[in-house]
Amino acid sequence: MSEQATARRGKKGTMTQKMWRLGTVLALAAGSLFAVTVHGSALPPGAPKVGMVCTPGTVAGTTHTFNLETKTGYIETPDGNSVFMWSYDDPGVDNGHFQSPGPVLCATQGQTIVVNLTNNLPEPASVVFPGQADVTATGGTAGLLTTEAAASGGTVSYSFTATDPGTYLYESGSDVVKQVEMGLYGALVVRPGAGANFAYGASTPFDPSREYMALLADIDPFLHHAVETGTTYDFNSRDNRYFTINGRSFPDTVQDNGSGLLPNQPYGALVRIQPNTASNTLPALIRMVNVGVDNHPFHPHGNHTTQIAQDGRLLLSPGGASAGTEHFGETIGAGQTEDFLLRWDDQDHWDPDTNPLPVPPPNYRDVTFKDGNTWYSGSPYLGYKGTLPAGTTTQNICGEWYFPWHSHALNEFTNFDEGFGGMGTLLRVDPPGGCFTTAASTAILSGVLKGGSASALAVDDANYYQVNPRTTTRPTSTTAGQTTITVASAAGFPTTPGYYIRIDNEVMQVTAGQGTTTWTVLRGQLSTAAATHAAGAVITALSNDWYGSFSGVRSGSTNLKVTYKGKNCQATTGTTCPAFTGAPVPQQTVKICNWTILGGCNTAASPGWVTLPPPPTQPQNVGSTDVSSTWTLPGSGSPYIGTGANNGQVRVLIHTQRWTAPSPTPFSTWGNLLALVYDAP
Amino acid sequence: MSKFAAMKPRLPRLTRPLFVLVMIFAGVVAAGSTASAAPVTINLCAEPGTATLTGAVTVPIWGFHTGACGSAAATLPGPQLVVNEGDTVTVNITNGLPAGHTLTFEIPGITFDAGPTDVAAGASGAVSFTCSAPGTYLYVAGGGEGRQAAMGLAGALLVRSATAGQAYDTATTAYDTEATVVLGAVDPGFNAAPDTYDMYSYLATYWLINGKAYPDTAGITAGPGQRLLLRYLNAGFDNTSMALLGIHEHVVARDAHLLNNPFDAAAETIPAGATEDAIATVPAGPAPSSQGFPLFNRQLHLTNGNQTGTGPTPATGGGMLTFIHP
Repeated sequence: MSEQATARRGKKGTMTQKMWRLGTVLALAAGSLFAVTVHGSALPPGAPKVGMVCTPGTVAGTTHTFNLETKTGYIETPDGNSVFMWSYDDPGVDNGHFQSPGPVLCATQGQTIVVNLTNNLPEPASVVFPGQADVTATGGTAGLLTTEAAASGGTVSYSFTATDPGTYLYESGSDVVKQVEMGLYGALVVRPGAGANFAYGASTPFDPSREYMALLADIDPFLHHAVETGTTYDFNSRDNRYFTINGRSFPDTVQDNGSGLLPNQPYGALVRIQPNTASNTLPALIRMVNVGVDNHPFHPHGNHTTQIAQDGRLLLSPGGASAGTEHFGETIGAGQTEDFLLRWDDQDHWDPDTNPLPVPPPNYRDVTFKDGNTWYSGSPYLGYKGTLPAGTTTQNICGEWYFPWHSHALNEFTNFDEGFGGMGTLLRVDPPGGCFTTAASTAILSGVLKGGSASALAVDDANYYQVNPRTTTRPTSTTAGQTTITVASAAGFPTTPGYYIRIDNEVMQVTAGQGTTTWTVLRGQLSTAAATHAAGAVITALSNDWYGSFSGVRSGSTNLKVTYKGKNCQATTGTTCPAFTGAPVPQQTVKICNWTILGGCNTAASPGWVTLPPPPTQPQNVGSTDVSSTWTLPGSGSPYIGTGANNGQVRVLIHTQRWTAPSPTPFSTWGNLLALVYDAP
Repeated sequence: MSKFAAMKPRLPRLTRPLFVLVMIFAGVVAAGSTASAAPVTINLCAEPGTATLTGAVTVPIWGFHTGACGSAAATLPGPQLVVNEGDTVTVNITNGLPAGHTLTFEIPGITFDAGPTDVAAGASGAVSFTCSAPGTYLYVAGGGEGRQAAMGLAGALLVRSATAGQAYDTATTAYDTEATVVLGAVDPGFNAAPDTYDMYSYLATYWLINGKAYPDTAGITAGPGQRLLLRYLNAGFDNTSMALLGIHEHVVARDAHLLNNPFDAAAETIPAGATEDAIATVPAGPAPSSQGFPLFNRQLHLTNGNQTGTGPTPATGGGMLTFIHP
């Protein structure tokens, strides 16, 4: 086998060519991340797009019951082939849609697990649970290794107590040489009594949103073809050509869970992590299972992984301390499981400005750009994106990094001997806290630019984006009862009704005539008194309204977090920021555009502007000292991400308003930082 | 499992601890010393023979047996040699292989006293060594670029701890019963023509535990609650993953060295040429199979010979499979 593999590799290209090809595959793989995905293919409701998916089963008291049925179907391989498979599925999930591998069974320590098997195959089949003791069977007939369900509709039920937490496998115990190779396998996860955020117990906490399964398997398509067509096959001459993680081969492994492109292979294998920071200290948990027939040497690029357990048992010293070991390569033997914790430390502190990457970025001519979806970001490091070629609006999502994780038996890092492919996936390192972006452009809805530009909002520094209130004049005098007034200019004032203006100590609300120089007004608003005003009086907009636009936010992004830092100054001229005399200081309300609301967000009064939900509660009092606030929109960000002409835009409105009587003074709004952090799809 | 007597007669199990106790009371034995250390002489012959792999399948082998050449049949694997920690051992080897096949006797992990280890065909030689550490060792013929070992010239050497009932000199390796599991494989085509066979086309079709393929493998006897010491030795060429169903085994040693951090496993890979000691405590509950707890090759080498049916294997099993049962 190894001699043959060596011979095969010898006929292939050099490693340099291979690495070049890897780059191309990576580019394609990253591009495929953006493909439209459809949920519902053999996935239970609410399954995450990335990470381990548990099949729910049913819980009654302390009994956790799973129903499995054996079925035949096909899987797709990245080289365009399809392979006939046998597998288990859960008839209660997506109407028993065929899936490979079998569902991930998740239970809690101490539960009694019941697995009811219905066998639809033309020969007896069964389930064995390596690593579980005292498994009893009900029904069925005795087989070589365990009790079996008869062919074509037979049933058997297994029961055992999940005494020990950990990662296990289940697989066929019947005619195993054929049936296990044909795909009758899956993973079993027992969560500790301590909670689902621990791998084994108090000593092994991890971030439950970063729990990954990597179930390794290998496929000889000729065996599968022989089983499909009822022809002979000699297992001794087995020569695996496809190598899978969670039933998919690279680059399909990096597609989302439930990708519509792979309806029978619901489980992706992309691993996502954020760097270890003061606020992100919990590691990810990588559960690895080898259900294949070969021992697979698995090689994670990037930071080392720490093996904490094998076969559902913690690695401990005789004294009880952790005996975990760090690895950049670890062979998972056939039938073994191993659990790893992964923290990703930014050990080299690369920074495009102060500590640039030692590797020169590739020449644009060597990189594929297609539809703005490309792998290379110009200066790809954790949130930074460099200069892009003309016409390319974006290259990766937000400067995230990708590392290949793969079998280092390089003949397994192929699809039918063509590399790279097979038993590989990607570790995606997202920027700390998530994708980070700052406002790419600004627009003033009510007010006039005093100074600065959108770039001043990119960094928390001494540069500000400054907006003054819009002003105009009344050429003629005004009586206390007059409700139609003519102004010198409407420029810079809102073009929709409902905005407030101030003349001297009186506040009026414009109800009609907006956008023209003749306004219909309500007098004496906001607890002020209608009064007469002299000719030439100055009209000041009561509020400053402007928005920042973030661009290139991918549809499917979640957990938008808006940060705005700014202040208000009791002056509209000069370079200093005088403090306010008298209370209150200006009231600030930050809103986000919900693009799905009819009426949009074109003006300050448009119905699409939605006040960002507390905390912190709005409006906020913001004086001449910078106030920094972050609002979180949990869950899907799709209402806030523009489509069509506004594709990928997120708009955030800053509304500041102040009214004090008597003798109000106009104020200036100074924005320091306007940033968006989100989880990219 | 065939039991081949070691050359040195052992004290009966019950009398041995008594003997040690007597020596302790007499103030003779320091902690860890080897009360029963003694000179031991083992006579081995390597010569051609045949092995019955399953019922009707026999293949030519080259194997060891104890005693003089011609006095017994060569076996697959070679006889299990059992000595005690501290013993000074002399192995007299007679090479009865066909002309031209010089035999090199090796026991990885054991340092031989100075002297030649090669024995020419038709000649005799001897190696001597002191068993300074207990454990499970593989003895093997290192000649012929691996062809001699592939033909069957390998076997188990057990060096018993000075403390009876322990695999090593620590109480954590105590056991109630033991089984030696020598892993290997045979390509009958190679065995038929060991000198001329093209090793690039070597393809094993019989996968063996102690020289037998299921259903001819001997069962392993251990009752509920018993601590079963499994001494794995991989005399084959494949890194072999052996799985246990329904039991976790406590892996205590590899290559006759205690692990600093012993661990529990349900499947373990025994590299080619390596040994491993694991203690499996047999559960009191039901076994997965009516035949007991399966111990099997998880790389699914569970077939016998070339497969010609429409499925790759008979459901009745074969290959590297046995059961642990009372």
